[in-house]
Amino acid sequence: MGICLFLNPIKGAGDDLPDVSGYATNIAQIDHYDLVDTDLAPYAALMLPAHLDQRFFGTMTGKVEDFLDGGGTLVFNGHVAWPMLPEFNTFVPLERSSLENLTIHRLCDHPVFDGVDPDHLTFRRGVAGFYARGCNPPPQGAIALHGVGPDHLPCDWVYDRPKGGRILMHAGNDLWMYAGSTDTTARIVPQLCNWAAGLN
Amino acid sequence: MARIAALDGGTYYHHRTLYEPRYRDFFDGVIYTRDIADARFEDYDVLIVSCRTDPSVLIPHRAKFERFLDAGKTLVIMGSTGPGNWLSGVDWHYTPTNFWWWKEGGTLGLHLVSPDHPLFSHITLADATWHHHGHFIVPDGATSLIDVGDLGSVLYEDRVTSAGTKIVTSLDPMYHHGSHFMPATTRFLDGFLPWLRGL
Repeated sequence: MGICLFLNPIKGAGDDLPDVSGYATNIAQIDHYDLVDTDLAPYAALMLPAHLDQRFFGTMTGKVEDFLDGGGTLVFNGHVAWPMLPEFNTFVPLERSSLENLTIHRLCDHPVFDGVDPDHLTFRRGVAGFYARGCNPPPQGAIALHGVGPDHLPCDWVYDRPKGGRILMHAGNDLWMYAGSTDTTARIVPQLCNWAAGLN
Repeated sequence: MARIAALDGGTYYHHRTLYEPRYRDFFDGVIYTRDIADARFEDYDVLIVSCRTDPSVLIPHRAKFERFLDAGKTLVIMGSTGPGNWLSGVDWHYTPTNFWWWKEGGTLGLHLVSPDHPLFSHITLADATWHHHGHFIVPDGATSLIDVGDLGSVLYEDRVTSAGTKIVTSLDPMYHHGSHFMPATTRFLDGFLPWLRGL
């Protein structure tokens, strides 16, 4: 099975960042800044945290594009703020954070979210807004998976690059914050790692 | 007016807080954390270690932060930056984060300790109330502004453990304002930054 390489940001500031250890078998983890010296050839997928230093990541566009051209999968979490890849566009926030605007709508079925109730994405212990509050606008040809608010801003999308490789975009907190949750969102981490490894 | 610089960890939420128009004019300098070695801290009166800056990039520069304080300057240490790892005299205790207190009938337990402090002519307790990431044991002679229960402080001012001033908090408004989440965090910065400017 292909291995998903997770980047770990922010060391030594408490343990409130999600840890995928134990929630999927095909994972590896490195410290955030070690990416510069890491050979990506052994990995099927690169998993980027919302706390990514995007200025740093933006210095490695060539390396990441080579990885994608070779058939790799890139999973991005967070809001796009700095130049990184040509497929990434700057985050567009919701104009207002009302409950209606924060509702998550499924736009297309996808293996990563199979069996995940959209209501469990909209509400986390009764609080809306954790999942997404806007979108990173997709490139032409991408498939929107979830939309937020009445205008269905595409907060999640997948894109098969013409030159090879795939991008899964999530404009919010780490999808792996749901590791070990007690509702249907617990399905996300194992399904994400399976999909990213090419099993679906 | 104090000249203010803030650290930029390259994250999206630092970008929104430091570069977008709402607060941009409060920052005379923005220092990318991977450029700290070459940065001229001496050009500024106040240096903000922005919320959730990765402590691992600060540890190699701990002597530079100490020198900044030795020069009588003000170091502002924001939430989730692990200051015990890179600065002496800071006693931080991590606690799990309660995001749901307001939804589940509980209380966060924050209360003003120094209501006459000048900061509170700029913000209210409600503006500082969303959640906190642990608490601090305040050094003898330093002043807590906001405590959590009887555990310790979530915001204090320390003019005793160095020649300068440490303003230390376990609140993380730059992260949440930068994430378009939790409106109190924007109200906090609306008052906190003008107060820093006036130091």
